[in-house]
Amino acid sequence: MRWHAPADLEEALLLRGVHGEDVTVHAGGTFLGILMNQGLIAPPALLSLGRVAELRGIEVARGELRLGAMATHLAVERHPEVREGWPMLARAFGLVASRRVRAVATVGGVLADADYASDPPAALSALGARAILRGPGGERSVSIEELILGYYTTCIRPDELLVEVRVPPAPERAVYRKFVSRSSEDRPCVTVAAAHGAAGLAVVVGALAERPQRFDDLCAAAAGDLAAAGAREQLAQDYAARVEPIGDARGSAAYRRRVCAVEVRRALEALAA
Amino acid sequence: MRVAFVLDGAPAELEAGEGEMLVDALRAAGRLSVRETCGIGVCGACAVIVDDEPVSACLMLAAQVDGRSVTTVEGLPDDDPVLQAFTQAHAAQCGWCTPGMVLTVKAMLADDPQIDRERAAEGLGGNLCRCGSYSRILDAVQLAAELTLKED
Ligand SMILES: Cc1cc2nc3c(=O)[nH]c(=O)nc-3n(C[C@H](O)[C@H](O)[C@H](O)COP(=O)(O)OP(=O)(O)OC[C@H]3O[C@@H](n4cnc5c(N)ncnc54)[C@H](O)[C@@H]3O)c2cc1C
Ligand code: FES
Ligand code: FES
Repeated sequence: MRWHAPADLEEALLLRGVHGEDVTVHAGGTFLGILMNQGLIAPPALLSLGRVAELRGIEVARGELRLGAMATHLAVERHPEVREGWPMLARAFGLVASRRVRAVATVGGVLADADYASDPPAALSALGARAILRGPGGERSVSIEELILGYYTTCIRPDELLVEVRVPPAPERAVYRKFVSRSSEDRPCVTVAAAHGAAGLAVVVGALAERPQRFDDLCAAAAGDLAAAGAREQLAQDYAARVEPIGDARGSAAYRRRVCAVEVRRALEALAA
Repeated sequence: MRVAFVLDGAPAELEAGEGEMLVDALRAAGRLSVRETCGIGVCGACAVIVDDEPVSACLMLAAQVDGRSVTTVEGLPDDDPVLQAFTQAHAAQCGWCTPGMVLTVKAMLADDPQIDRERAAEGLGGNLCRCGSYSRILDAVQLAAELTLKED
């Protein structure tokens, strides 16, 4: 197994462009490590981004939050400007796994692995975040919904790297709820990220289907009535009826649908409070 | 590949095999306190401190610590307050989980010197003790906090 550890982004992009699918991008390695330990993958070469300092930044530019792909979960969770301006995001990253995993797992890794049972994707989607993908042909910006296509599948091309995530100024209200069904540090069974502000209402349900679920038409219709308990309950029921849950060790499809109704209602209550 | 790093305070070098995990490299280097148990980042028995943060050595490639600093329990002085507290509180039954617990507690106390029992329990949520000596481990955290404060 070859280990490429370029010192800067230019070199990393060059290697990625030359080797394409023959190298596996290695960020924190917490996802890849499990697959390698279990013998599920044996990549011929790894392209480590661990030395690329340019990708580790977290900064606010013109009101927008910019998270470098190699910023760790712990760095996001602890960053004073994230806690102040995007507390819902700091919370969602802070609820991932244990401190040991958060110290290593990266923003780019959790999006690029596209595991359905994750926390940050739903939170980033509700906040209208976009991922910046860079390759030989230049740069493109995609929404989280465009990025995550299905089970462990993204739109990142074999010659591209996810370099940054940009989050617009936070809405007035935002909440994140993580429901776990087995142990406190488990991956989520159902998550709900909800945001309400000038851009309208966004409710995203994560971890219950192969990709985060959001129904903007339902949200647009209900956005004006959030103060009414009946309208909140109706939206929660509409979400539960529309999602297509999967069943796994964390809960059957029917169970997840019921949890979805409860958790969406609770998220909306918190938004309205 | 050649990995140059600082191991328990002293410069070290090792030859990491292809895809070799840090836990295996450290055991080969004689650090037998680092114990692969779950191999999926859940239990904390393989915890080591890299730079200032505990990590799971079962999920980190040895190549990833090139140029960094790694601390295992074997690198702590005998009079380390957390080690002392674990001994005095009889916080180990079989002792398998203890090295990972000790290192995690060190990092927790560095952030939160006056940690209370509830926050300590939360902070140790990712460290499993199959003997179930959690209540004594939490006693040890309280004692360690007192000893550490006294030391400073
Ligand atoms: C014990 C444990 C518990 C967990 N619990 C949770 C949880 O509760 N909630 C949750 O959300 N997640 C959880 N996770 C998942 C964890 O968040 C992911 O493993 C982690 O985010 C992956 O990040 P990484 O940097 O380690 O990625 P890596 O393992 O390095 O990479 C992951 C994938 O992304 C690709 N990749 C990485 N970076 C880039 C990039 N910049 N450009 C293109 N491709 C890239 C890699 O090629 C690989 O396919 C848990 C993981 C563990 C081990
Ligand atoms: S063996 Fe590494 S966390 Fe369990
Ligand atoms: S003391 Fe035996 S595993 Fe914790």
